[in-house]
Amino acid sequence: MWGQVKQALYQSTTRFVTRLAGLVPGFVALFLALLISLLLAWIVGMVVRRLLSSMRFDERVSRWGLSSLAEWSPQNSPTLLVSGTIACAIVVAGFLIGIAAFNSDLTSSLVRSIVAYVPNVVGAIVILAVGAIVARYVARSVLIGAVNLNLGYARLLSVGTRWLVMVLTIAMALVHLRIAVGIVELAFGILFGGIVFALALAVGLGSKELVTKSLERDAKRTPADTIEEPLRHL
Amino acid sequence: MEADSFPQQAVQDIGQIDSADLVVGIVADLSQEDVAEVCGGLRTLPGNPRIVVLQNRLASDATPIGSAVPAQDASLSLVPWSLQNQSPPTTPVEGMLAAYQSILTIGKRLGVRGCCVIASKLEHAPSKWVCQLTEPLLEASCDFVAPSYARRKFDGLLNSGIISPLMRSLYGLRIQNPMGPDLGISQRLYQKLLDGEQNGKTGGSAMHLLASLVPLVLCGNLEVSQAYLGARNYSPSDWTTVSSLLSEILGPIFLAMERNAACWQRTRTSSPVKTLNEPVSAPQTTGTVEIDRLVHSFQLGIRDLQEIWGLVLPPASLLELRKLARVPTERFHIPDELWVRIVYDFALAHRLRTINRDHLLRSLTPLYLGWVASYARELETAEENAVEHRLERLSLAYETGKPYLVSRWRWPDRFNP
Repeated sequence: MWGQVKQALYQSTTRFVTRLAGLVPGFVALFLALLISLLLAWIVGMVVRRLLSSMRFDERVSRWGLSSLAEWSPQNSPTLLVSGTIACAIVVAGFLIGIAAFNSDLTSSLVRSIVAYVPNVVGAIVILAVGAIVARYVARSVLIGAVNLNLGYARLLSVGTRWLVMVLTIAMALVHLRIAVGIVELAFGILFGGIVFALALAVGLGSKELVTKSLERDAKRTPADTIEEPLRHL
Repeated sequence: MEADSFPQQAVQDIGQIDSADLVVGIVADLSQEDVAEVCGGLRTLPGNPRIVVLQNRLASDATPIGSAVPAQDASLSLVPWSLQNQSPPTTPVEGMLAAYQSILTIGKRLGVRGCCVIASKLEHAPSKWVCQLTEPLLEASCDFVAPSYARRKFDGLLNSGIISPLMRSLYGLRIQNPMGPDLGISQRLYQKLLDGEQNGKTGGSAMHLLASLVPLVLCGNLEVSQAYLGARNYSPSDWTTVSSLLSEILGPIFLAMERNAACWQRTRTSSPVKTLNEPVSAPQTTGTVEIDRLVHSFQLGIRDLQEIWGLVLPPASLLELRKLARVPTERFHIPDELWVRIVYDFALAHRLRTINRDHLLRSLTPLYLGWVASYARELETAEENAVEHRLERLSLAYETGKPYLVSRWRWPDRFNP
């Protein structure tokens, strides 16, 4: 009886040690992959940083109207953000390669699902970037147009428009990432509708006084006031 | 502009003409009597030149062509031509200006010695001033005859406040209306213009073509003269379209600046151009300028557009503008030096593409209206000759400020706001 227990214990220990030993190459491969990817990330990051610095990337970004990118960047430098993102991507890729080296069903399926998700992440990032640019452009167009039309609530209109575009963009990015699609759709509908309603109320209430004044002015206007303005621009 | 953009009838009529000495394009909506007067005037030109008159006719105009015009002869052909038949323009200004390209193209096809465009309704008899625009092209080997209209203080404000003094300071030619719209162009100049257009040097649109006139004259060492044509009837301005006007007109001018930078940076001073006759005075217009509304537009711009202007203007200019926004309306005044620096900074931002070019030019509107308010307040009760002095002072301010533009143009980073 004691012999059988001993044998069972011996066999289980052997199995455990054998399996553990089988994992060692995987761990070593993971360690090596991480080490190499870290080294590669450092080199590539440095090259990209120098390249972007020589191109005055930070200045160009602010000139392209993407100054908000600088606000999100470490030390307010989009160059550091871009080089850091590339370095991180290399480290993540090295980690995935290392994980895949374990050659087990679990890690393989994990890597497969992560790799399959990468296009969604890239797509979401592109959607967010394009959305931010479009939001900035549209907001500026609205702001300038409204100021040139002498509208007192030009800034409100511009900010509202920017948020409408950004909310739409974020909702699209989240749907693309397949994160709580149902909730996002519902929340987007409520939020988008809410912003439009709030804007309509704000503009409506804001312009109530304007319309009243305008009507009063028209009513008080004498025939002498209706003389055409003599300014000729072109 | 290709031949297929002309109305078929006009193409056939022009096809029957072998050659001519002069093409006169009437873009303005002139009455049949005025057209008859133009033709009569052209017949008096010395040397009996062969002339083709292209008459713009509205689609709704049912009057038979030449009904009020004396019988056509070997020396003068009147060709009807409708702007409405051409490809739809994006804006009214663009639509009218597309006609310039057509006229020059027809002129080139016929190998004429000069082209003349009549784009305005003038208060004087057209028979007289059409000769003043065309005669120097045929007789005096002049390349560009620019119009000079009788000054009215509130007419052509965009030209008075920006176009004319800017071109004078850049290219050193004191031309009252460097972009016409009525003008005479020699064969040498229209060929350069059309060649430049084909090579993409003038930018493609008709407005680019007009903005390239003065740079081409200066850089090509061509002859220029100015003809006093009397008072011009300006169409009423709609204040809501000022921003579109600024964008349409200033864009090509700033682009021409960029293309001819080497040329205008060498020009240090300005000189008067040859004038062909005596200036004519005109009665001043009456009416009240709503200065308060103009100042309100400026103040609104200061409140809401500082974020954009901060990318274009240096801090000193922004500070001055902020101070101006706090000044009571009755004391509001933009100094010439500040206005000139603003225009130069916008030209530079256009070159550097600091922000979208259309946004940039449209965002100038409140500043321009602020300048108009200052100008209108100064001249509201002024005498007729005060206008000339006031605009001369502004032109001198542009010339004095030119070193600032040259420095910023050459070393934009050193002056980065």
